[in-house]
Amino acid sequence: MTLAPPEQAARKYDLNFARWVRDNVNGGEKMSMCMQCGMCSGSCPIGTEMDHGPRKLFMMIRAGMKDEVFNSSTIWNCTSCYNCTVRCPRGIPVTYIIQDLAAKSVELGYVKKVQNARFAKAFWWSARTFGRTDERLMTAKYYWSGGLVDFVKRSLGNLTIALSMVRTKRMHIGAPHKIKDVKGLRAILAKAAEIDVRESKGGAS
Amino acid sequence: MANQGPTSQTILVVGGGIAGVTAAVEAAETGYDVILLERGPALGGRVAQLNRYFPKLCHPTCGLEINFQRIRKLKNLRVVTMASVADVKGDKGNYTVSVNVAARYVNANCTACGACAEATDMEVDSAFNYGLSKTKAAYLPHEHAFPMRYVVAPEAIGTPEADKIKAACKYDAVNLDDQGETFDVACGAIVWATGWEPYDPVKLESYNYNLSPDIITNVQMERLANHDGPTEGRIVRPSNGEPVRTVAMIQCAGSRDHNHLPYCSRICCLGSLKHAAYVREQYADVQVDIYYIDLRAHDKLEAFYQRVAADPQVNFIKSKPASVSVDGDGNPVLHGEDTITRELYERPYDLVVLATGMKPAASNGYAPPMSVERDEYGFLVPSLEGDGGIIPAGVAAGPLDVSMSVQSATAAALKAIQAVGQKS
Repeated sequence: MTLAPPEQAARKYDLNFARWVRDNVNGGEKMSMCMQCGMCSGSCPIGTEMDHGPRKLFMMIRAGMKDEVFNSSTIWNCTSCYNCTVRCPRGIPVTYIIQDLAAKSVELGYVKKVQNARFAKAFWWSARTFGRTDERLMTAKYYWSGGLVDFVKRSLGNLTIALSMVRTKRMHIGAPHKIKDVKGLRAILAKAAEIDVRESKGGAS
Repeated sequence: MANQGPTSQTILVVGGGIAGVTAAVEAAETGYDVILLERGPALGGRVAQLNRYFPKLCHPTCGLEINFQRIRKLKNLRVVTMASVADVKGDKGNYTVSVNVAARYVNANCTACGACAEATDMEVDSAFNYGLSKTKAAYLPHEHAFPMRYVVAPEAIGTPEADKIKAACKYDAVNLDDQGETFDVACGAIVWATGWEPYDPVKLESYNYNLSPDIITNVQMERLANHDGPTEGRIVRPSNGEPVRTVAMIQCAGSRDHNHLPYCSRICCLGSLKHAAYVREQYADVQVDIYYIDLRAHDKLEAFYQRVAADPQVNFIKSKPASVSVDGDGNPVLHGEDTITRELYERPYDLVVLATGMKPAASNGYAPPMSVERDEYGFLVPSLEGDGGIIPAGVAAGPLDVSMSVQSATAAALKAIQAVGQKS
C-alpha cells in the first residue's frame, strides 16, 4: 500500500492512514491496542509544548488526519523520555511510533513545513558529516533551510549570541572540528541503516 | 472398579470469606460433613471489612450474621480459624490434607470481656483497618467476629505485655505457650475459596501512595466510612482529621494495565460510585470527581450508577490520571489529560482514593499445593475434565462482587457434593 504524496492528497481524511501506520510504522501494529485513556499525554513532560499529545495524535491517525499528523510538532518535540511507553497500560511503544512517524515524515517530504524537522535534519547532517555538532555550520544550514530571508533575519538576530560563543570558545571560526575517525562513524551508520532496512518494516512507500 | 465410591465424604472448604462460608453452609445443610478452614482469627474475610455492600447497600454484618446463625445450628460443620493448608495428597474422593493452625494464644474459655486489651498499652497495626489505625496487642478481630474470641498479636509474645495480658484474664483463656498445631484431614472434595488481596498501591509508582496519608485506597475508604473504623465512620482527611471538600477517585488503579493487573477487576467502578454516595451522605457541599477510562457498572446495578450520576456534585472525568504529586500545602495533586476537553489538568484535592483492583490470593502464596489449572492472571480455572475434586469458588476463580461470589460458592458446594457422592 502506498500513500499519496502530500500535495496530491485528494481529501483531508485519508481513510487508509491508520492501516498504513499499522503496516509501515515501527510499533504501529500495537496502535490498535490504544484505549484512549490519556495516560501518555498526561505523563508527557513537554505535553504543553506540543500541538497534540500522543493520545490525540493516535486518535488523529485513526481519523485519517494524515497531513495534520505529519505536520504536527508532536513528532519532532518528543524528547524520547519514554514516560508514555513505560506507563502505557496497553503496552504500546508510544515513543517508537512517534519517532518513526518523524522519520516517515522526512521520507514523505513533509519536512519543509515543520521548523523542528528542519532543525533535526541540519543536526543530523552535522553529526553525520563531522561526527559532532558544528554550532556554526549546523545553525547556518538550519536557517538556510527556511529560505534566504529567514537566513539573513535569523543570522543577524542571533549575531550577538554567536559572537559571545566565539569569545567563550563555544563556537569557532575556521575548519570544522571533526572526530578522529569519521570513516569509522560512517561505517557504523551504514551498518545501522542496513539493520534498520532488514528488521523494520522498510521505507515509507 | 464397580461400586468403588469415595473413601471420604467429608468436604473441606479452604477460606472463610463470604464464598467459603457460603459453600460450607450450603454443603453442610444437605447433611454432609464439612470442615471450614480460615487463615485469620475470624470468619467474614474482605466482606466483613466493608461498610456497606451491594445490591441493597446493607451493612455486611447482616448477611454475615445470618450465615453465622446457620453455622451455629450445624453440628456437622466444623470451623477452624488460624488454619492454613500445608499439603494435599491423594485424589478425588480420597484426599489427605495437612492443616497448620497458627497460635492464637487465646482458647475457647474466652468470653470476649476485653480485660486483656485494657491491660496492655502495646499497640500493633490494625490489619482489619488496612493500617489506618492501631489496635491493642490483645484484640477482638472485629465487633461481629465469629468466633467471638480475642487474639494476642505474636509481637507481644515474650514481652512483659504478654504477662499483663495473661494476668488480666479471669477465665484462664490466655495461653502464652500456644505453639499452634498440625493435623491431617481426610476428605473427598476440596472447595478452594482463598479470595483476593487488594493490589499493592505502592506498585503504582506515579500515584505516590506513600507521599501523603490523604492518598488512600478503596478498601481503606470502606474502613474510613465504617462506624467501627478508625474515625468511627467520619470521612475525613487522614492527615489532619479535617472534613473533605474535594475528593478524587482514580479508577483502574492497577487494573486493565499491562504493567499491573491486565484484567478488569469488575467491582471497582461500583465501589467508587458507592464511595461517592458515602461522601455525599456526609457532606452537603463536597465535590467528588471520578476519573475513569470506562465506567463498568455491570449487571443490574446500572440503576445505582444512574442515581449517582444524577448528583450534580459528582463529576465524571474521562481520563486515566498520569500521576499524583503533593503540593506545598500537603494536598495531593492529580495530573493528566481530560480526554473529552483535551486539556491537561493539574488539580489539588483533599482526599484521593485509588480504586485498586483484586489480585487473587492464590497468586500470592495461597495456591492449592497441588496441580490445579490457573489462568494467566493466577485465578483458578474450574476443571471440567480430570480429577474435579478441587473446586474453586468466589474470587479465587475470578474477580466477582459479593452476590456473584455467593452464587459461585453455591455452585461449588453442589460440585463438591457431586464429587463425594459419586460412585466412580
